[in-house]
Amino acid sequence: MSELNEEKQSVTVPPASPPPAALGKTDDGSQVTRRTFFSWLSIGWIAFVAATGGFFTMMLRFFFPNVLFEPVQTFRAGFPEDYQVGEVDLRWKSKYGTWIVRNGEGIYALSTTCTHLGCTPNWLTAEQKFKCPCHGSGFRKTGINFEGPAPRPLERYRIVLSDDGQIIVDKTKKYQQEKGQWGDPEAFLKV
Amino acid sequence: MAEKKGLLKRLAEGQVWTSIFRGGGVPKSRRQRMMVVLNSVFLHLHPVRLPKHAVKLKFTWCMGGLSFFLFLILTISGILLMFYYRPTIEYAYTDIIDLAEQVPFGIMREIHRWGAHAMVITVWLHMFRVFMTGSYKPPREFNWAIGVILLLLTLLLSFTGYLLPWDQLAIWAITVGSNMARATPFIGSEGPGAALLAIGDINFVTMSSDIRFALLGGRFLGEATLLRFYVLHCIGLPFIIMIFMAVHFWRIRKDGGISTPV
Amino acid sequence: MEAFKHLIDTLSKPTILVSFTFLIFFFIFPPTDWFEKWHRRLKFDGLWSVKSFWIISVLLVGFFVIGLSDSDFRAIMLKPDNVPIAGLIFLVFFFTWLSMNQAYNNDKLIEAGQPVDEQYDAPNDKVLVWPDLVYVELITIVLFSAFMLVWSIGLPAPLEEPANPSESPNPAKAPWYFLGLQEMLVYFDPWMAGVVLPSLIIVGLMAIPYLDNVKEGSGYYSFKDRKLSIAIFMFGWLVLWNLLIVIGTVLRGPNWNFFGPFEFWDSHKVEALTNINLSEFVYVKGMSTGLPGNILLREIWGIILLLGYFMILPPLLAKTWLKNLFERLGVARYSLFIVLILAALTLPIKMYLRWMFNLKYIISIPEYFFNF
Repeated sequence: MSELNEEKQSVTVPPASPPPAALGKTDDGSQVTRRTFFSWLSIGWIAFVAATGGFFTMMLRFFFPNVLFEPVQTFRAGFPEDYQVGEVDLRWKSKYGTWIVRNGEGIYALSTTCTHLGCTPNWLTAEQKFKCPCHGSGFRKTGINFEGPAPRPLERYRIVLSDDGQIIVDKTKKYQQEKGQWGDPEAFLKV
Repeated sequence: MAEKKGLLKRLAEGQVWTSIFRGGGVPKSRRQRMMVVLNSVFLHLHPVRLPKHAVKLKFTWCMGGLSFFLFLILTISGILLMFYYRPTIEYAYTDIIDLAEQVPFGIMREIHRWGAHAMVITVWLHMFRVFMTGSYKPPREFNWAIGVILLLLTLLLSFTGYLLPWDQLAIWAITVGSNMARATPFIGSEGPGAALLAIGDINFVTMSSDIRFALLGGRFLGEATLLRFYVLHCIGLPFIIMIFMAVHFWRIRKDGGISTPV
Repeated sequence: MEAFKHLIDTLSKPTILVSFTFLIFFFIFPPTDWFEKWHRRLKFDGLWSVKSFWIISVLLVGFFVIGLSDSDFRAIMLKPDNVPIAGLIFLVFFFTWLSMNQAYNNDKLIEAGQPVDEQYDAPNDKVLVWPDLVYVELITIVLFSAFMLVWSIGLPAPLEEPANPSESPNPAKAPWYFLGLQEMLVYFDPWMAGVVLPSLIIVGLMAIPYLDNVKEGSGYYSFKDRKLSIAIFMFGWLVLWNLLIVIGTVLRGPNWNFFGPFEFWDSHKVEALTNINLSEFVYVKGMSTGLPGNILLREIWGIILLLGYFMILPPLLAKTWLKNLFERLGVARYSLFIVLILAALTLPIKMYLRWMFNLKYIISIPEYFFNF
């Protein structure tokens, strides 16, 4: 109750500062003029927007955790002799999402992810092509797209030989044909 | 004692009944019937009186009402399903099977699934009816826009629910859907313009910082994805759709009730 | 019977089906007076009579009854997730008929100078919510709940095999209400089909009340006064949305090839689908030179075409063919309207380019993920 009274009193006290400049008094800097009022207002608004923006940025950042729990991205794929020339090898398809293809010159590792929308294409031996069941994209054995909506060729993974002669496929490094990366020495294992 | 009152009548005039339902007894007079609507928080969604075509199925098709009713069915059946379903890759699929085979009245999932299909249809048809009667014209423009958002939210709810059984249909629908998100201009790692947001060799929009990542909770479809979609489906999107529904219903009344010829 | 099935299969070829729909559509829902003249001359206005309703319903039911005797058709339609589609086909037809029937009745009343069916005399014609509306609601809810129960008991919800990230089902279909989108994905890059076009659909739908500035036809069924907006909406809703969904459900089979409704889904059906881009048309086929190395030079033709389509065509149309519309809508409304319409028309345009010339992209810059 007393608080209320105090407030009431403070309201009824006549203004200590002189009336606004518009009434003829000179501006001695101690009062709130229109200009200073607007600059305080804009600072207030900027602070408000910044705080709100910062808060929403934090909320956005919340969706990106710092640590991911993901399966191992590198695997040993046996010896080069395990793969026959001219064949698409399906043995790592379900476990690591990789096709290993060997041609006359060497071996490359193709990603099994369709570059259109990420379905897994099927290798059709009779037609010698990868055909995606989702939207009908087709890829040649090299991974080059030639039909359907896929915008670019399949990606190749880094493929190297380890010290003991085994093939190592590293899925963290990708090579894209349209960027001219297939010429990279680690995108293709010469045998 | 001139006449002996029946049990029902005594109940209807007793303190308990009249404390709940104001107005006293069966509403018979015009005034009483208006008071029924005014005194009920639920019926109060409606106005007291309506133009006569507003009660004709030929005009309304009842599609808006059915959409809302389906939303209630889906909410209730959804809550019931949550008692048995665990959103983890290990359990999700088997819990779905248990829901059909081990849980009494094992049609709760059917009601939820078919209800969702039905709601998509009723919402579409409601939009169709509103268009054909020109009910989006002034002053109802904004409520039409709210309605479009409700349609979108209905589809999103349906889409997020699709993932939860963790079967083949689920993961491939989400794979395709989330890869579309990856192609969003500028904020998707394979969208046009993403490559421009880079300083030197450092890309800011990559596989681990784009919108698809936010959806999936990782770079690949996995445990985090299931949890995120579960939360969106059960809490996030219903929360948003309820806000928009409230605005939608309120605006109907504020814009003058059901549309009528001028 | 085999001849009938063969005929249906032939008619369902996308080129024939879609071309036929496009040709006939605007005579059924005439957007202008000229179309309406032919609409009446071709007797399409009889479509919305009670007699036509029964004829078409019998034909539809007959088609399904005959169709379901075929094992391939049965396999598609009776897949649990596709059952709502069969329902949707009937519902969309029924409600289109119902609204158009009432619209034509009201049109006649307006022409005769009489009040429309929904006209009421306030406040005398008002009814009370309790009991008139509450009654209707209660009965609807009870009947609908019974329907849902029967449906849920009779048809188990689909559950496919456990998720297996290495085997995509063939064909891998989205839920049926997204099959229209999935069909767009065949003709457009994901950023267009999955992001830009859906956003434009949403924006376009929301913009309808602000674009359509015809005052007539608010609060009652009518067609004549608002034929342009109804024709456009119907084209989007019936053809670009519902027809594409039906095509995606019934006609798309393994490897996303087209199959007739009575055709066996042979996963080894081979179709030559080698796609080429516009730049290859110009440089490789037209000039017999290789593709230029410079991206801008390579794609300049497509960029010119696209800019012309969206920048030159709208003012050109405003001066010529759409002059009246332009004057009625004003600059701001017209600009938004024409951009939305042109964007929607890119879908059929790209469909035909694909089917006839195997054209894939008009602009293709995979280096920056920009393909159109």
